Amino acid sequence: MTTSHRLSRRTLLRATAAAGGAALLSSCARGSGDAVDLAYWNFFGGSDGKLMVELVNRFRTEAPNVRVTDTTLMWGPPYYTKLAMACAGGRAPDLATMHGSRLSTFGRDLLDEWDLDELAARGVSLDEFPQPVLDRVLVDGRLMALPLDTHPLVLYYNTDICEKAGLLAPDGTLAPIHGAEQMLDAGRRAAEVTGAIGIALGSLHEAHIWMPFWSAYRQLGGQMRLPDGGPAEVDRDAMVGAMTFLRDLCDGTICSPSLDGQSSPAAFASQQAGFLFVGPWEVTSARTAGIPFSMTQFPALFGDTPYVRADSHSFVLPTQAQVDPAARSAAYDMAVSMLRNSLAWAAGGGHIPALSAVADSPEYLAEKPVSNYREAAQVVEFDPEAYFSGSGSTLMARAGQSLQGVTGRSLTPEQGADDLIGWLDDQLTLGSPL
Amino acid sequence: MSAGTVAAPGRVEQPTAPRRGPSLVGGRGGIWFVLPFMAVYAAFVLWPLLYGLGMSFFDTSLVRAESRFVGLDNYVRLFADAEVWRTLGITVLFTIGSTIPLVVIALVMALLVQTGVRGQWLWRFVYFAPFLLPVATVVLIWQWLFSGDYGLLNAALTGIGLPEVGWLTDPAVGLWSVVLLTVWWTIGFNFLLYLAALQAIPAQLYEAAEIDGAGGWRRLFGITLPLLNRTTGLVVVLQVLASLKLFDQAYILFRANGGPGGSATPILQYIYDTGFTDYRLGYASAISYVFFVLIILIALVQARLSRRSEA
Repeated sequence: MTTSHRLSRRTLLRATAAAGGAALLSSCARGSGDAVDLAYWNFFGGSDGKLMVELVNRFRTEAPNVRVTDTTLMWGPPYYTKLAMACAGGRAPDLATMHGSRLSTFGRDLLDEWDLDELAARGVSLDEFPQPVLDRVLVDGRLMALPLDTHPLVLYYNTDICEKAGLLAPDGTLAPIHGAEQMLDAGRRAAEVTGAIGIALGSLHEAHIWMPFWSAYRQLGGQMRLPDGGPAEVDRDAMVGAMTFLRDLCDGTICSPSLDGQSSPAAFASQQAGFLFVGPWEVTSARTAGIPFSMTQFPALFGDTPYVRADSHSFVLPTQAQVDPAARSAAYDMAVSMLRNSLAWAAGGGHIPALSAVADSPEYLAEKPVSNYREAAQVVEFDPEAYFSGSGSTLMARAGQSLQGVTGRSLTPEQGADDLIGWLDDQLTLGSPL
Repeated sequence: MSAGTVAAPGRVEQPTAPRRGPSLVGGRGGIWFVLPFMAVYAAFVLWPLLYGLGMSFFDTSLVRAESRFVGLDNYVRLFADAEVWRTLGITVLFTIGSTIPLVVIALVMALLVQTGVRGQWLWRFVYFAPFLLPVATVVLIWQWLFSGDYGLLNAALTGIGLPEVGWLTDPAVGLWSVVLLTVWWTIGFNFLLYLAALQAIPAQLYEAAEIDGAGGWRRLFGITLPLLNRTTGLVVVLQVLASLKLFDQAYILFRANGGPGGSATPILQYIYDTGFTDYRLGYASAISYVFFVLIILIALVQARLSRRSEA
């Protein structure tokens, strides 16, 4: 190498500085002009993640002048922490996904409300959403989140196993199940066929065990109000009843008390269980396994109405220190585009579309088995309202501990209820951070 | 006091060598080299430390702009918070449960390698290698090993006719799985400290002992272990402080949910959850300050104990 070509440290530094400056200038240049930059955050991994990327790409082709930067963050507490910090710091993304159940924390100060006129201009009005979901996303009459879907707890069943167990109706679908006793009995009969367990339930996963608990609690008429400062207003009898049901369920034959969030869908996929209690998103793993299965609405175990724990993936407009009107407008476009294209989201991920135009479309109704449980959207029960409640929240994690105590038989249902109520009271006395 | 600190009589001052260019040790040049570190240290350690202390007297929230001065309320509250004591208990249990094997096994491994036959370099590498892995990798490996359905550990247990263990699912076992993982991951560092100390023991001592007729065990307990006292003191102090800081491996291993029945929730995770999941930063700061003081107290007690044992 000749000396004239050798890179001296000074040249390198100068070149780096120049390149950095050029990059800065070009990025400024990109910001101007017709194109709009839009930052979008979500928490979808796995098969839902793939479907979400599809929805984003659909919007990219619809609106070529919008440059969407989509960021996927880890689901659960890390996502909500980052979003809250970004909002509080004023540098939040233009559009974000959020569970409807988390609005009790975010809805007050961290989000901008959706402008109904802007939505109407894009052909979306409030009467197109299911009422129970709308009730949750309206805070003091203001629309704080735009629902994309509803995802309730659903009942998966293996048609082969259920046929052998004599649980199918003449038309080949699951014979209706009325009441807790019938559910337990169906589980027992399925277990006889599989030789393993009857119902796969990830009792060691806080979200998986919370879903049937909250459904049963609400079906038993249980209410929960969590006023700041405490004490918690809880129906202890309903709580004991729901926990007793879970204990009876996890007797080692009907359900195993030691399945976690991954092994429970795996047990269903490998035909070790005739039923699966979980959200609709596991439709992918069941399809991939190639087993004969179908899905239906979670039954009424107590009372006549099949109230069921659900949540809603929604779009929100995080508060920003400075709102770019072009990006805000593009955020409306993108959210509405994803709502309109949510058939792919529903067909692939099992979620019930929120927008009636999609939910009532013949294409969606033809999607089996995921449209079987669409009526569940009318009887959904969201988690109680508190800053520490909702999907991926402290309440879910802590309630999971009490519930696992009961299913693992280290606590009686009465002790489990008192454990959870005691914790709720303690948590409320600590005072709200809102 | 040892004699080493007393200046030898008749010591002659050496004439200093002629200086060439500005000195980096004396003079003013040094500060410029230290300044970048000092700036980073001040910005990311000292300032947050003070800011956190201040925050612990306010009801600071992550999701609300304004905060109110609450005096010692946060501190009073935490002493009545059962979860603080429960998670502190778990942390202490982990510290005891992990420090003992991490010291004893590291010593045994170092002794084996030091006295062992051939291929020392290989054992040094093999024992130290896990320490070089990042925590996420270590946890991923162990999540597979611990898995109930397809895990190697349970396969080995059933292979020899023993019942399966719920490594990640049994409330009685969860914390010990973290101990097992941690021992495998970090023992290499203590092992190296012991090995270095062993190599510093003069061979003549052993020769003399051998001539006096001391056998292997006699040499171990008469020479090796007493001469390793200082190293053991150091290893124990470092290990206790490291184990008290348990957070990342447990957090990742149990996907942030605190393990089966919350049995593997260290106090740092409770602080994290309080501050970042429940958005109660002021209260979380107060808990972390109490924990900070506790760690300092433990370090002081240990320093006192080891000084006494050396005296």
